[in-house]
Amino acid sequence: MTAALLELRGLTGGYPPVSVFRDVNLTIKPGEHVGFFGPNGHGKTTLLKTIAGVLDPWDGGIYFEGNRLNAEGAMQARVSHNLNYDLFRKRRIKARDVVDAGLIYVMQGNLLFPEMTVEEVLDIAPRAARGRPGVGQMRRQIHDLFPRLRERWQSKVRYLSGGERQMVSIAVGLLAMPRLLMLDEPTLGLSPKLRIELSQAVQNIRETGVPLIIVDQNVEFLTSLVDRLILFDHGTVTREIPAENMPDHAQLMEMMFGGAH
Amino acid sequence: MAFDTFMFILMSGILLGGLYALMATGLAVVWTTLGVFNFAHGAFVTLGAYVAWQVTQPVAGGFGFMIAVLMSVTVMFCLGFVLHFALIKPFERNQNVVLLAVISTLAAASIIENGVLLTWGPRDKQITPPIGSRINFFGASINAFDFVILAVALLALFALALFLRRTTMGRTLRAAAQNREAAELMGLDVPRLFAITLGISAATAALAGIFVGSLRFINPSFGADPLMKSLIVVILGGVARFTSPIYAAFVVGIAESFSAYFLGLYWSPALLFAMMIAVLLIKPEGLFGHRSKTL
Amino acid sequence: MKYAPPFQRTNGLLPVLVVFAALILLPLVITETYARHTLILVFIYAVLASNWDLSLGYGGIVNFAHLGFFAIGLYAYAILAKVIGLDPWVSLLITPLFAVTFAVLLAIPILRLEGIYVILVTIAATQLLQQIVVSQSSYTGGTSGMVLLPRLEIAGYKLSSDNRLGYYYFGLALLTASTFFLYKLERSSIGRAIKALRDNKYYAISRGVSEARTRLVTLSLSAIFPALAGGFYGAYLRVASPDVFGLGFLTIALSVLLLGGVATIWGSLIAAFVVVGLSQLLVDYGAWRNIAIALVIISVVVVYPGGLYAAMQEIWSGFDRAKTNLIATFRRKSGAPARARAMGTTDQLVETSHGAVSVCDTHSGAQTIIFIHGNSSCKEVFRHQLEALRDQFRCVAFDLPGHGVSPNADPDKDYNLAAYAQIVAELVERLKLGRPIIFGWSLGGYVALEYVAAGNPITALAICGTSPVRTYPDDMPKGYIPSPHMELAGKRFHSPHEKGQYATHTIGLQKDAEPILWQAVWRTDGHAREQAFAKLKTTDWQRQISVIQSKDVPFVMINGPNDPFINHTYCARSEFGTPFSAHPILIEGAGHAPFLEDPKPFTQEFLRFIRAAQSLPVE
Repeated sequence: MTAALLELRGLTGGYPPVSVFRDVNLTIKPGEHVGFFGPNGHGKTTLLKTIAGVLDPWDGGIYFEGNRLNAEGAMQARVSHNLNYDLFRKRRIKARDVVDAGLIYVMQGNLLFPEMTVEEVLDIAPRAARGRPGVGQMRRQIHDLFPRLRERWQSKVRYLSGGERQMVSIAVGLLAMPRLLMLDEPTLGLSPKLRIELSQAVQNIRETGVPLIIVDQNVEFLTSLVDRLILFDHGTVTREIPAENMPDHAQLMEMMFGGAH
Repeated sequence: MAFDTFMFILMSGILLGGLYALMATGLAVVWTTLGVFNFAHGAFVTLGAYVAWQVTQPVAGGFGFMIAVLMSVTVMFCLGFVLHFALIKPFERNQNVVLLAVISTLAAASIIENGVLLTWGPRDKQITPPIGSRINFFGASINAFDFVILAVALLALFALALFLRRTTMGRTLRAAAQNREAAELMGLDVPRLFAITLGISAATAALAGIFVGSLRFINPSFGADPLMKSLIVVILGGVARFTSPIYAAFVVGIAESFSAYFLGLYWSPALLFAMMIAVLLIKPEGLFGHRSKTL
Repeated sequence: MKYAPPFQRTNGLLPVLVVFAALILLPLVITETYARHTLILVFIYAVLASNWDLSLGYGGIVNFAHLGFFAIGLYAYAILAKVIGLDPWVSLLITPLFAVTFAVLLAIPILRLEGIYVILVTIAATQLLQQIVVSQSSYTGGTSGMVLLPRLEIAGYKLSSDNRLGYYYFGLALLTASTFFLYKLERSSIGRAIKALRDNKYYAISRGVSEARTRLVTLSLSAIFPALAGGFYGAYLRVASPDVFGLGFLTIALSVLLLGGVATIWGSLIAAFVVVGLSQLLVDYGAWRNIAIALVIISVVVVYPGGLYAAMQEIWSGFDRAKTNLIATFRRKSGAPARARAMGTTDQLVETSHGAVSVCDTHSGAQTIIFIHGNSSCKEVFRHQLEALRDQFRCVAFDLPGHGVSPNADPDKDYNLAAYAQIVAELVERLKLGRPIIFGWSLGGYVALEYVAAGNPITALAICGTSPVRTYPDDMPKGYIPSPHMELAGKRFHSPHEKGQYATHTIGLQKDAEPILWQAVWRTDGHAREQAFAKLKTTDWQRQISVIQSKDVPFVMINGPNDPFINHTYCARSEFGTPFSAHPILIEGAGHAPFLEDPKPFTQEFLRFIRAAQSLPVE
């Protein structure tokens, strides 16, 4: 077995009957920070949601530290269109197993729990992940990572700004003591100032040694944080770019869309 | 009208309000968490009362009132927990879950009601209240047990609120209610949490059933009235806060006992339904709230 | 454009006529009073449930109002006929007035509300009615109800005489009228508005459908027949009691609706026989009966939400599949000589990963041309080309799975463009066809484009009767002229009339001229039509457009100017132009299938294109 942290083998999935991504093969080594870049609506979020266990994969395998997270074999086709398949068909992947394995997904534009305070949300986060060792230290670390949250400790999530919500989401992810953290568009809809602040926080997380997968539309944000850039287009990985020739925005556009834009 | 009559009507209204609050909160908790209306709630009230009645009977050992309450509440919690997997979980991903749940819970109500009829027969029964003494309250002679019921009902609601706000378990329940997907991604076992919620709801229904059963007679179909009253309360109060149905319960209880005195027994339900339709017309989110569901 | 053929041209005509005739003749066989009583109740419940379905199933407004309409019908009849003393017939006929008034009053609060609130208001309203009925005991008899209501008579003939013969026929007449009304209503513009609001509310509103008015109309119209049924129920049983508000009545009515399946008129009618029959059989078991009915409701909702009607459709479709497969197997042997005569060569079955396909191969020739036929057709459609081109080229034509004499295949996996393109790729590999020239007609045109888009090497590509699509489904109405044909192309079951229509329009010829092609429409697996059409949305259309615009692929469109389906202006857009032809090549006077209708000029044009493509250097 290779020392891959996360390995996707021929992963296919989507919202039946439309397949969104097809035959995705990907290996992420321990300690590696990987960026995903690609146009909207081409399956990045769907892929991450499938890995996280929200959606059932159709075919292929998800391996984390050598353990398979999803059920073997391809998803069975429906025989009848009237039977309630939610009843008969078991889930092919469970979000809980994924979290238990230490693979944590931080949702895009997460609304979290609008009527709970920041304190309450961060209180239940480690319990949800069944309290791994080091949670106490991580709790202290979160105060340093997101000083802003300390001011809003007793506010309900619904009253937080987009950036603050994003910070709570990431903090929730961190409290699960991730072995790999997947951030889905953390800068979506943030002001430039907040983006810088968040970028700094992600930089700090990176330095603590948590491997990251970051999906983002902001090229500069992405290239400053990752070791490898994966271009995702039409539901599949089209190119991988190593750190040494990281492109800037214009070059990336040229690569993806071939020509003037 | 004499002052003691007024006090009597008011007190019986407040007592009714306490019972309605207990029932309606159970219904509201399920609505805000699972997002469905549980039409088997009335059947839970019936079954809870019958289980307690059975426990107090000599044939089952003739246990005391307290044991009966504990037994009934435990049994109903387990039943609620199990029923979630039979009635709601199978189509939780279906977009028509609200409709399907109405139908499946109505059917479950029919099964429970007829099951009770088969087991215990159609005859009226009464749970013997543990305290029979009466006390004088501002001139009105009122059962001491009524006060106990009111106190216990309010205490149970307070304990439930505390559980939801202060304990980690209660907070995870609220999290699952507010954002299912995020709760799943956190690693919470959402179906289990939902089942616990239905269990809690059934347990409060059982408690209410026992109290009603020790005040009035119980029969297999007596849950229909509590269900309708809870519906009215939840609609009137809305579910913006944990407390909104509780306030509404007292409004409904007092309104009912006064209208029963002034308008007669037959017209007071009609008045309540008319009130409910009026509220839905003018302020669908309820008298005490804004358009959001929380726990 | 919605395709809605008149009833006599649908597949439903025969079964409905048979059942209706059987119901008319049934009293001759069933003379026993209790059996007739059950059937009369069946009619009443069927009327109630099918009208309830108008708002619940078609309108998507889950509500319990119809129990109220029924109860109003019942009590209106009781009070008018007994307390006021009106003629029973007049009383019965004016019951809808009261129910419609109630519906209008009820619609006002419902107009603003959604989902669960509608359920609650309607429940509250029926409870309110019940409270009023119970409290006004001097008029309504209170909790014990009214008895000995006036019965119905026609010129002194009591409808209850001769073992309730009159009531039986009156019930049947009521059911027939109600069904006719619902059928017409569903297909009227109001019916379409009701369904549009259910399927996509905001889109419907933005297109000018008034939500408030439609809801009001839905509720009012669906109040008429339940009220009549309620009045009839009172006149028949001669009792009006508050039981109609109870849980027992509700569960039976609801189970009729659900077991039958929502949003079908026929479902409720079928289920009424099953549920009411069953509940009358179990009537002696009291509580057990109610438990059994409730269990049926739960299991239907949980396991098979489609209900009986969907089950019947599924059984019918399984039967249809078996039938078409049998026809294919039979013709593979018996029709072989006729096909060999037409094609000049025999066909053989070739196994692929998407099922076996019947292939016609002329074997000789260095360059291959593969012909791909269209929806509900077969390879023999290209027989003129095989005849004309076989001397110069190796010609290969095959029947798509579920078409012609190829066996049926798995509907989920094998009936879509990607699978069809995969079949072509496997044929190329298996039969060693090299870099073929591909000609695709209609649906086959998309298969051809998909084949090239998947990266398979070719020498040239021509499509016919196909509009290139960039975004689906937006480009479909641009590329095609809206016609009922488009609906037929994706329809699973065709009635004989529709099959004839389809064949005539696609191949432009009459039955006797092309027996093989005519038969092919009959033989086609309905699932192939439905699935291929339904899965168009899973195709990567952008990729197909890049094939057309690529400089490396010699490409041309050849169309008939009289093609009734494709939009010629759209196809002539410069973006689809190629060095071979800036516009689609038009075969004078031809329709959707120029290669069949005018083979000579078509073959000439096709050959000219092939020569030009072949003269290009290969990469």
